[in-house]
Amino acid sequence: MRTGTAGSTGTADIEAAVRAVIQDVARQETVGIGRDDDLVEVIGVDSLQGLQVLAGVENRFGIRLPDDELIQMRTIGRIADAVRRQQEARVS
Amino acid sequence: MRIGLIAMSGVRVRTEELARLGVTLPQFVSRGQVIASLPSLGLLTVAALTPADCDVAYREIAEVNADTALEPFDLVGISSFTAQIDEAYALADRYRAAGVPVVLGGLHVSLMPDEAAAHADSIVLYGAEGAWPALVADFQAGRLRARYEGLRTRVFDEPNYVMPRFDLIAGRPYNRMTVQSSRGCPLDCEFCAASIRITSSYQQKPVDKVVAEIRRALDVRKQPFFEFADDNTFVNKKWGKSLLRAIEPLGIRWFTETDISIADDDELLDLLAESGCRQVLIGLESPDPEGLAGIDPHNWKQGRGGDYLRAIDRIQSRGISVNGCFILGLDTHTPAIFEAVRDFVRRSGLLEVQLTVQTPFPGTPLYRRLHRERRLLEERFWNRCTLFDVNFQPKHMSVDELESGLRWLFGEIYNEREFLGRKRRYMEIVKSKLNQPFRTLTVKE
Repeated sequence: MRTGTAGSTGTADIEAAVRAVIQDVARQETVGIGRDDDLVEVIGVDSLQGLQVLAGVENRFGIRLPDDELIQMRTIGRIADAVRRQQEARVS
Repeated sequence: MRIGLIAMSGVRVRTEELARLGVTLPQFVSRGQVIASLPSLGLLTVAALTPADCDVAYREIAEVNADTALEPFDLVGISSFTAQIDEAYALADRYRAAGVPVVLGGLHVSLMPDEAAAHADSIVLYGAEGAWPALVADFQAGRLRARYEGLRTRVFDEPNYVMPRFDLIAGRPYNRMTVQSSRGCPLDCEFCAASIRITSSYQQKPVDKVVAEIRRALDVRKQPFFEFADDNTFVNKKWGKSLLRAIEPLGIRWFTETDISIADDDELLDLLAESGCRQVLIGLESPDPEGLAGIDPHNWKQGRGGDYLRAIDRIQSRGISVNGCFILGLDTHTPAIFEAVRDFVRRSGLLEVQLTVQTPFPGTPLYRRLHRERRLLEERFWNRCTLFDVNFQPKHMSVDELESGLRWLFGEIYNEREFLGRKRRYMEIVKSKLNQPFRTLTVKE
């Protein structure tokens, strides 16, 4: 896996990892899902699956996503952006 | 011949303060919206019982516009819950005034037959199985009777069983489909106004029939979330395990209602998680054993009340959320109950919470007792049987204390901070399991 700054991961790699977690949890391919597609509307991720995805992402990257943003994290892009921000905050 | 089957759905809180509160509390309204958006499995079953030479149309009350002409049918069947029964009667009266015969059925009609009969050409008591085919035949022969009694037992046996007509709801935007795997409940809680009131014994559907229904429903809607229209699915653990093993390969996600005893059985819990169960709704009713006295004739729930915290943790540790239901205003409750429920919810880590007020539905033992004790606020209050409106004099507090306590508790439980806190707790459970065999996170081949 490529890395950018120490302790962080490149955006493409973050998105790929998020997709892998979604695939594990929702049991569905994520190839056709766009960065800004709503996971609830496109592949029917339910609220518990959504939390499982976010838990898997936290575990994968060793971060804690902000609680007050959890409800808004319904796209791969939003999740990946939140991961990147947490990584950057940790590095700085 | 064209038969219209019309389902009433959606329940509105009547108490203004609660109605206003509901607008601002997302978790409070969400369960009500889910229930309101479910298709009527009862009427889809009635449709399946209808002879093949009849044309059947399934409609929901939202599609019957009060300002426009009535859709032409030769016969209309209406099913409704207690809270909407007056709207059902009004619609029935409208059709009858237009010369269209009306049949009324469902739980409320079964419990209040004489009242319902005043608004119908015929009524069906108990299940439609065993009644509807004869009713249609009699109607076609011009000899419709005023009352038919359906089966109260053996409804899942041949030749009584039929598969619901899921095809009638193809293309409709339901986010959940319903199937039923059992009818009735052996606990016989005093307040219960569910299927136990129209069955004579607890009945389980053969597993192969449940699987066949899920497959048929999946033909109509791909990847729906299934809601089991049961009142207590896992009374029989052996049957329950065979059901779970059979639906696991279907790859569905689903919800059901059951009792706390599922937490006793590790194998059952593992199978629940593997089969795609996402949430179980459990009637906890009150947070401590003292408050549960007299809920059911054998005090079964009181015997389990001391074990609630451990049981909730065992279920949720599988990644299955527990929707814990509490009833406020039981005869054991004092004004201290509201803080006690709030504290229990925080300690328990419950991921979802349903708060309701004790409701004396007509035809229940609770209604009869409160009527006998002259504690009902009105004789007839059906449109306030919403589970949120107070209709009786509580034993150890005033009506105002119960209403204001309920509003306070809503604010404590359903605010955004608590909502997010429950989400965070669930994520921590998931994370703690990620390095262990956590089957719901395993990719299926």
